[in-house]
Order: sequence, then structure tokens, then C-alpha cells
Amino acid sequence: MKKIKKEGLKATNEEHVCKDEVYASIFSNYSKTVFNYIYYKFGNEEKAYDVVQEAFIKLWENCSKVSPEKAKSYVYTIANNLYLNVIKAEKVRLKYAPESNPVVNESPDFLMEEQEYKDKLERALQALPENQRTTFLLNRIDGKKYAEIADMEGVSVKAIEKRMHLALKSLREQIEGI
Amino acid sequence: MQENYLAKWLNNELPEEEVAQFKESKEYASYKKLRDVTDRLTAPEFDMDKAWNNLNNRKSLQESKVIKLNPFKKYLSIAAAVVLVFTASYFYYANLNEKVYTQYAERAEVVLPDASEIQLNAGSKISYSKKKWDSKRDVALDGEAFFKVAKGKRFTVTTDNGTVTVLGTQFNVENRKDYFEVACYEGLVSVQHNNEEIKLPAGNALIVVKGEMRTMEIPKNGEPSWLSNESSFKSIPLKFVLDEFKRQFNMEISTQNIDTDQLFTGSFSNTDRDLALKSISAPSQIKFKLEGKTVLFYAEAP
Repeated sequence: MKKIKKEGLKATNEEHVCKDEVYASIFSNYSKTVFNYIYYKFGNEEKAYDVVQEAFIKLWENCSKVSPEKAKSYVYTIANNLYLNVIKAEKVRLKYAPESNPVVNESPDFLMEEQEYKDKLERALQALPENQRTTFLLNRIDGKKYAEIADMEGVSVKAIEKRMHLALKSLREQIEGI
Repeated sequence: MQENYLAKWLNNELPEEEVAQFKESKEYASYKKLRDVTDRLTAPEFDMDKAWNNLNNRKSLQESKVIKLNPFKKYLSIAAAVVLVFTASYFYYANLNEKVYTQYAERAEVVLPDASEIQLNAGSKISYSKKKWDSKRDVALDGEAFFKVAKGKRFTVTTDNGTVTVLGTQFNVENRKDYFEVACYEGLVSVQHNNEEIKLPAGNALIVVKGEMRTMEIPKNGEPSWLSNESSFKSIPLKFVLDEFKRQFNMEISTQNIDTDQLFTGSFSNTDRDLALKSISAPSQIKFKLEGKTVLFYAEAP
């Protein structure tokens, strides 16, 4: 199993981004992250779809110049530069996955408290500086490692840790009204 | 505590002693809660197929731009091809120019040029040509609709699951993903499905679920129950029942630990949501929980 995987990887490395299969696999691997990334920044799904399209068109136009290993950071960089300072951030709306062990017969008080907590969290996320919110959500929702977020944002891992720390701190303060 | 300890803790990088120290602090409980709740956060749904298709449309558009710069002769042939495509699509759309859609939790009534009537259930779409109606009575359907057809020439309902042909009668057609149902209330209809022709006299219905076909009896001269705001099912997999609920009330549905292939017989109200939820969950012995625009159906662990 392991061996097959390794060979597959090697084969793609030698291939060109201009090849349809390579291009399609890059798209299926990274388009969702690009979408979420832009959504966390601006809270606008339509713009997020536009950015996905722009970023991947640029990749297609430059497919002979970009190696498959570099394709990921290439699309992230394009996405990052596209709407920089151009659009105003809107409200970021997120949902919750159902709990893995739902408690049956939860008291109405408990459910109301949960809902209140979620509302407060939503407002607190909204109030975060854009870079903290994006960093925090890429880690919490998309499970991106700090190093990868640092790569996307073009800053050091230390800076990402700082953002995470500050994000947690202000979320708590905002939620508890400190 | 070290710099940025919250980030390290979240990433399980904080040394044990410091974790212990952190757990002692009065803020720990609120950070843990914050971590647990944000663990369940999800992003809005990303429609990758749509994004991919749009991208490919853009790509082909850009490629045709490049061709325009080539010598004139080539340009001319492309232009001719474009004109041909436009003309062909004009005629195609001229034939199917009238379109009626219903959103979730919506219904519509359509009167055709010959006074035939169509009732359109939630989440459905029909199209037909007004211009050519006199020579061709043809309606394309995606979704569910009840037809009262005025006597006259052949009347055809085209769906991607099959074609229904009649002269003058009352019948209901439901065409959803993996689900095709035709119920004849008056007269006689002919159903073309998978290259097979089935004659359906009044009082009979044909149901194809995931490729499996069966027929059953229904009341003659009746009407489908959804016209009186009720959705009824007879031995239909729960999955399709939940889909119909979703269309009638415009709600999201999620399920947990339940077998959506189990068969459901019964009906639910299309107007009273709470009653409908009870009508679905009680016979199937499942539970439900409402959260905003989402209903979670789940089974209690044994």
C-alpha cells in the first residue's frame, strides 16, 4: 500500500500542471481550502467562489512555469493578493456539526444556554481582527497546522502562534464580557 | 507560563507541567469550553462541481479568445460555428421557452394554452413551448406535478426517468433522484421507462425506486394527497420521505445512527411542521432535534 502511494507521488511530481489530470487533482485538493480561506476573511461566499476561479485560471495560464509542488502555495498567494483591501468584510456565518454523542432530553435551559453561547461566539469571532479570525478558523475548522497557515499568510510560525494566542484570549474575554 | 501558551496548548505542544499548571487556573474551564465548541464549527458548504464547471467554462472562453488572433479564414469558420450554435440553441430554447419553477416550501399552478392544468409540488420545474403547443403538447418535468389534461392530441411528459404519454386524463408524475412515480387517476396513461412500455389504467400507480419497479392500486377518480397538503408513502425507503420533508418545509436534514433504507408507510402534514416531524419519527422509532433550519434525526444507542 505504502509503496503504491509513494510511486504515485513520484509520478505526479514528474508531471506537468498543464496536464489535465494533474491540474484536476490540484483543484480537488486545494480549492476548498482556498474557498474557506477567503470566506473566513470576508464572509462572502460569492467572492470566495470568484477567488477560487481567479486563482485557478492564473494557475492554468502559468501552468508551464509552476511545478506541481509549488502549485499549492501559488494558488494561496494569488488568492491572498486578489481582494486585498478591496472588499469590506461581511458577517462570517458558520454552522455546527452535530455532537457525536447527542444527549437526549437535554433541559430547555441547557439548550438555551448553548444557543446563547454560540451566539456570543459568533459575535466574538466577528469582532476579531481579520488575520486572527482567518488563522483561528483555518486551524479549528480545516485542521491546518500552524506551519501551513504561516505559509499561506506569508508570515513566521511564531507570528501564527501569537495570533492563535491572542484570538483565544479575546474570544474568551468577549464571550465572558470581561 | 511561556509565550503564546494558549496556542501551544491547543496544538498539544505544551509540556506536561505547564498543562497541569494551566488546568489549575480559573480560566481553564472557559478555554476548554471554547476549544470543545469550536471543534464542531463547520464552514459553509463548498460546491466543488459547480466551481470546477465554472472554471472550465472560463478556460474555454479564454482559449477561444486566443483563436481570434489567428488568420482571418480561421476566424471566419469559428464565427460560423458560433452562429450555428447560437441558431441551434435559439431553436432549442424557442421550443422549450416557458419555464416554471417552485422553490422549497412553495407550490404553483400552471394553465396551459389548451386549458390543461398542472399543479407543481415543492422543489420542481417544468418547461414547455407556448408557440408550438398546438402541434406538440410536450412538457419536460423535473420534480413532481399533477396533470389534468384536456382532451385532444397526444400529451407527453418527458422526464429523465421515462416518458408518460396520454390523450386526456388526470395523473401525477414524480421524478426525483433514484425515484420515479406515475399515478393515474382517470383515463389511461402509457409510461415509457427503460425501453419498456407500461399501460397504466385509472386506479393504478407505478413506482420505480433505485431501478426496482412495482405497481400498486390507488383510489380511482381521486387526487394525489399532496394537493390536500399531505405527503403519503406506502413502503417507501425513509430516505425519500426525509427528502420530501426537506422540500415541503425548506429545512436541512441530517441523520445519525439510522437506517434510511428502512421502509416507511404513512403520511405527514405539509403545513404543520411539528406534527409532520412526529408523524415521521414515531412509526420509525427514531428521535429528532431541531436546531435553527436543521433537523437532526437520530436513534438512541441501544
